Amino acid sequence: MAVFDGILLTSLNGLALAAVLFMVAVGLSLVFGTMDVLNLAHGSLALGGAYVGVVFLGTGGGLGQLVLAMIVATIVGLAAGLILSLLTRGIRDHLKQALLTLGLALIAADLMRLAFGGDVKSVAAPSPLDGTIEILGRPYPTYRLFVIAMSLVVGGLLYAVIERSLSGAIVRATVADRVMVEALGIRTKVVLAAVFSIGAALAVVGGLLAAPVLGAQPGLDNTILLLALVVVVIGGLGSIKGAALGAILVGQVQTLGVALLPEFASFLLFGAMAIVLLVRPGGLLPAAHAEVAR
Amino acid sequence: MKHHTQPNRPRAFALAAITIAAMTVTGCGNSLAQTDAAAETVKVGLVVPTSGVYEPLGVDMTNGFQLYLDQHDGKLGGKSVELVKADEGDGPDTGVPAVNKVILQDGVSVVVGIVNSATALGVKESVAQAQVPLIIANAGANDVADGSDYVWRTSFANGAVGASLGEEVAAQVDGPVYVIAADYAAGHEFAGGFIDAFEAAGGTIAGESYTPFGTTSDWQPFLTQAQNSGAKAVFAFYAGAEAVNFVKQYSQFGLAGTLPLYAPGFLTEGGVLVAQGAEAVGILTSLHYSDLLDSPENEAFVAAYVEAYDTPPTVYSVQAYDAAAVLDLALADVDEVDGESIQQALHGIGAIASPRGEWSFDEQHNPDQPYFLREVESVDGANRNVVLRTLTE
Repeated sequence: MAVFDGILLTSLNGLALAAVLFMVAVGLSLVFGTMDVLNLAHGSLALGGAYVGVVFLGTGGGLGQLVLAMIVATIVGLAAGLILSLLTRGIRDHLKQALLTLGLALIAADLMRLAFGGDVKSVAAPSPLDGTIEILGRPYPTYRLFVIAMSLVVGGLLYAVIERSLSGAIVRATVADRVMVEALGIRTKVVLAAVFSIGAALAVVGGLLAAPVLGAQPGLDNTILLLALVVVVIGGLGSIKGAALGAILVGQVQTLGVALLPEFASFLLFGAMAIVLLVRPGGLLPAAHAEVAR
Repeated sequence: MKHHTQPNRPRAFALAAITIAAMTVTGCGNSLAQTDAAAETVKVGLVVPTSGVYEPLGVDMTNGFQLYLDQHDGKLGGKSVELVKADEGDGPDTGVPAVNKVILQDGVSVVVGIVNSATALGVKESVAQAQVPLIIANAGANDVADGSDYVWRTSFANGAVGASLGEEVAAQVDGPVYVIAADYAAGHEFAGGFIDAFEAAGGTIAGESYTPFGTTSDWQPFLTQAQNSGAKAVFAFYAGAEAVNFVKQYSQFGLAGTLPLYAPGFLTEGGVLVAQGAEAVGILTSLHYSDLLDSPENEAFVAAYVEAYDTPPTVYSVQAYDAAAVLDLALADVDEVDGESIQQALHGIGAIASPRGEWSFDEQHNPDQPYFLREVESVDGANRNVVLRTLTE
């Protein structure tokens, strides 16, 4: 019984990690799936969000500070996404995109180290959420449940906008046939810049929400980028449902898998990715419209 | 291969010319160094991380070494010191070339520093070959210091730090203890040292978990295992970012109030102690230093350190400060400054009066030193490692 409780709690932790990964990976997936831009600076955006958390919530705070931090993170993300979309606009070659964004990621990492130092920074959960809730007779940190809830809200909104609204239809149409959308009188450059900005903002907010769980330190950007890339590869490019499924899978592999088979920890993640690639090379749930972009 | 195309030739010639020019310049540097040596100066290579994840340790070590120099007019053993610094970086890929660079290119007589154990293991053969003594001021892998004439350590051996808690925990905890550590060489050495000493003192182990190093962000599964094991206390080894997340989760998942946490002092040393916040209070650790040690030597050291750098010293500062003290004693006995004579002098320096208390090199060239039981307390709103008592002499 006690063992079973432990496993349930562990999978709940897996969901919390999945929630954070989803927020970061969905932006990466949309930008690659719709704009065909491989953005390796995506992890830096998430770490930037974590440092926003350090500034606004570092020594604890209330819900007010959390809302303020989320607004700042959104603005930072929108601005960074706009700059990234301008920089990568003319570059169609994936290798060149990778080199450019990786270079930007290295510069960003050094700038953040200059500003915040090389030490680990921890971020306190905001005050009504910093306690614990009793689950199955064991205390469980409330903040993690909040992260799961936030991720569900964001995912739901995003799905509704992209798949069910007119602006979502324009985004999907731009992916499918840029020239035709231009012919309809819509400026696709603006559409693509908006997608990039929103994707970047999601990464920064995701990093902010992750900060009380993962902390903030140099190197976290690469960890998050790697996990997000695996999520996108597993889930399939350009699809929100795919990112969600990939995030849940990676979250469970990274927590439940590591707990049950600690000696295979470094193998499990990429083992899971390899199996998915063997069975479904396009990922589990790739976007139907992303394929047309080839 | 190189000669199969014509256009490459001029470039190859240019390269060769530059290479030869560079070799000539280096040659000059070496002959200059030799004339310097006659004028009673000693070239010391300080190899610590000035970039990467261990940068904060490198800063503390540089400060500690520099403080000793400043207190002694820039001289060690009466000889002026010319300090050559090189960046150790994160691991042996950068650390080994840095050590080789100060030995071969700068021609130093002794190397001080080294944070990373893999780097220390990677250079211990080559310093012996080059006959340049290496004074390790941090790297703790058990096998680094093995009595080799050219390898000396002013810091600690991982197993010895773990072992220092064995008797104490066996005496204080009424029941079995759960061991949890990072799954890499150091984690196993700290845990192994503790388990051997703890079992020798009559304790029993409830269980062991070794968590994937660098990829674990979630300790709940291992903490749940510890709770279910019937253990009455937990022994843990973590450092850096993992130390922060582990301590926070130990508290968040409700273990902090019920199971006392014992650990090697690195769990709560330096920057991580600030980041851990209130959740670190009550953790019991063992280490060979705390800035709150109650001794005249330490009070003078802390006052001078705070005066110079505006921050309290860490164990890393003391290890480097003592490396300078060791060199001071050895160089006073040396007529001709070269690696061979420094190494011979190191064998006979005897006891070192240090801020951590008096210690001397043992047969392996590890420090034979006291360890202190420390408890994290909130002093004036800031976390400090308060010394409870001395564990081993």
